[in-house]
Amino acid sequence: MTAIPRPATVGEGTASPPLIEIRGVTRVYDTGRVEVPALRGVDLDVRQGEFVAIVGHSGSGKTTLMNIIGCLDRPTDGTYRIAGQDIADCDDDGLARLRSRTIGFVFQNCNLLPRTSALENVATPLLHQGVARKQRLERARAPLERLGLGDRLDHEPSELSGGQQQRVAIARALVTEPSLILADEPTGNLDTASGEEVIAILHELNAEGRTIVLITHEADVAAHAGRQVHVRDGRIVE
Amino acid sequence: MSALEMIRLAMSRLRTSRLRTFLTMLGVIIGVASVVALVGVGQGATSGITARLQGLGTNLLTVSPGSTTSGFTRSAAGSATTLTQEDAAAIAKVQGVAAVEPEVSTQAFLVAGDGNTTTTILGTTSAYPLVRAYDIADGSFFNQASVDHALRVVVLGATTASDLGISTNAPGRTITINGIPFQVVGVLATKGTSGPFSQDDQAIIPITTHRDYFSSGDKVRSIGVSVADASGIELAKASIAATLEQRHGVTSTNQDFTIADQAQLLSTFSSVGATLALLLGGIASISLLVGGIGIMNIMLVSVRERTREIGIRKAIGARGRDILAQFLIEALVISLIGGAIGIVVGLLVSVLISSVAGWSVAFSPLTILAAVVFSLAVGVVFGVLPARQAARLDPIVALRYE
Ligand SMILES: Nc1ncnc2c1ncn2[C@@H]1O[C@H](COP(=O)(O)OP(=O)(O)O)[C@@H](O)[C@H]1O
Ligand SMILES: [Mg+2]
Repeated sequence: MTAIPRPATVGEGTASPPLIEIRGVTRVYDTGRVEVPALRGVDLDVRQGEFVAIVGHSGSGKTTLMNIIGCLDRPTDGTYRIAGQDIADCDDDGLARLRSRTIGFVFQNCNLLPRTSALENVATPLLHQGVARKQRLERARAPLERLGLGDRLDHEPSELSGGQQQRVAIARALVTEPSLILADEPTGNLDTASGEEVIAILHELNAEGRTIVLITHEADVAAHAGRQVHVRDGRIVE
Repeated sequence: MSALEMIRLAMSRLRTSRLRTFLTMLGVIIGVASVVALVGVGQGATSGITARLQGLGTNLLTVSPGSTTSGFTRSAAGSATTLTQEDAAAIAKVQGVAAVEPEVSTQAFLVAGDGNTTTTILGTTSAYPLVRAYDIADGSFFNQASVDHALRVVVLGATTASDLGISTNAPGRTITINGIPFQVVGVLATKGTSGPFSQDDQAIIPITTHRDYFSSGDKVRSIGVSVADASGIELAKASIAATLEQRHGVTSTNQDFTIADQAQLLSTFSSVGATLALLLGGIASISLLVGGIGIMNIMLVSVRERTREIGIRKAIGARGRDILAQFLIEALVISLIGGAIGIVVGLLVSVLISSVAGWSVAFSPLTILAAVVFSLAVGVVFGVLPARQAARLDPIVALRYE
């Protein structure tokens, strides 16, 4: 396996600010009829190079928290800083830029583009960064080969197993060399063997210095992380 | 993301559902094709008429006898026989007039060997080919001396010559007109017109000879006048009218002649033709509009179907405007490719119409340009709403969409 270079660190060390800094964040869904408070005041720091598991039962607010950490959503109240940047200062394009440059997503159901080859799928984040096609495909090849999919480059998602699809999704998250990898129940739809494989990959990436935030409701998956954060009813309980 | 990348993305997207893409395009194809074909036919008809009118002669004025008024009964135009050869001579002296040819005519029976035909026998002067813009295909037109000496010489129209079976080597042959022998001196080049008023079916002899054998007196049917300079037509017209009024002892209120202006006729026909083309194009545009609505409909469905894809793209870094551009360019690619195919189909249909119906068809680059711009506009107008809908999707909602 070829080594992937460590991401540019934001001033590593004790004095450095955390990569993720969440203070008093709430998120209330306004469904029109009722207001659903999904997060009720969350404080959380994640440092560069950490492997953190966010654990909680279904409906406890994990995905909501991940959406905020991933800059897909904004808190109703409270502050959130990522890589020193307060997202309250960002417009929608600014959030898109953070998602593009700083964050790599791995979703529970892979969320690959249908009818699109593995290589093109992995190259897509680079497309949105404006990288030229040739470089894009070249750069997309490396993480796929690293994850053992060198012979599946031209396969479309429907031609891949669940485990292979999830590895393509991880390759896609890696291709932009993000500071943070956010994985929401990445093993949720996989059989035990494939799930363990995915966890092993995340481990390895963390060993190379990448910051990983893993969201799961399975205790044995969470056990692999360096630190566990428990969420219950929209609050963090230690 | 560059425009080229966008187009590539749109193309690969459209390739994945070929049938749907084609059906969506079909609306635009039919719309653009009918615009191109109908405008082409309309313009072809106009330019055909214009060419025919121009073929009648350059800077031509035609003086005809007017209507007579006896008591309270006004007869049809041309019923008076007030124009004479002297009138023609007087008009020839008017300032700005280049040439004049008085005309008399009868129907007669022509025989050349085994061939025979009945046609118009026109008596005129040697100025005829100049005034009426005829070229000579074979031999020559008779000269002034032939007119002065009332020689029995004849120049045949192209159709008449072929009706008589003497299309080749006609000059020098002798034919008979109502039994009287005439020597053929020339054949006119065809003007390519056909039908009952063909300019190619006639036999032309000196006006003096015509009077000797087929008519009498010095009344003429009409006088063709060629004006030296196109800009001098109005002035020449007024001068001729004044000359004739004075000669006939009439005023402008009871003129016994009319002067038809080729330019007037031409501009009337042109504007009628332009209106026709516009009308046909307008009708055809409605189908283009329907095609545009088809694009919008499919794009809206497509946005809905691809909600999840939009969510994924946003999650991995696409901005709203990237999504907007993506969908807009898809609509544009559909409408532009549809437009291009439509232009080709339209041109083919025009060619078909022209060969089947025998109409001339005009392809103006302007029509093609307008068709391209029009289909582009259709893409933008009907693509923008679905594209904006896609761009505004909230990524979280889009990702949760089943
Ligand atoms: N878009 C939404 N609109 C309304 N309520 C929502 C929405 N998303 C999540 N919720 C609610 O917020 C709570 C937390 O949901 P979620 O963050 O998805 O939990 P988890 O990922 O831990 O299962 C749940 O009660 C859920 O019903
Ligand atoms: Mg969840």
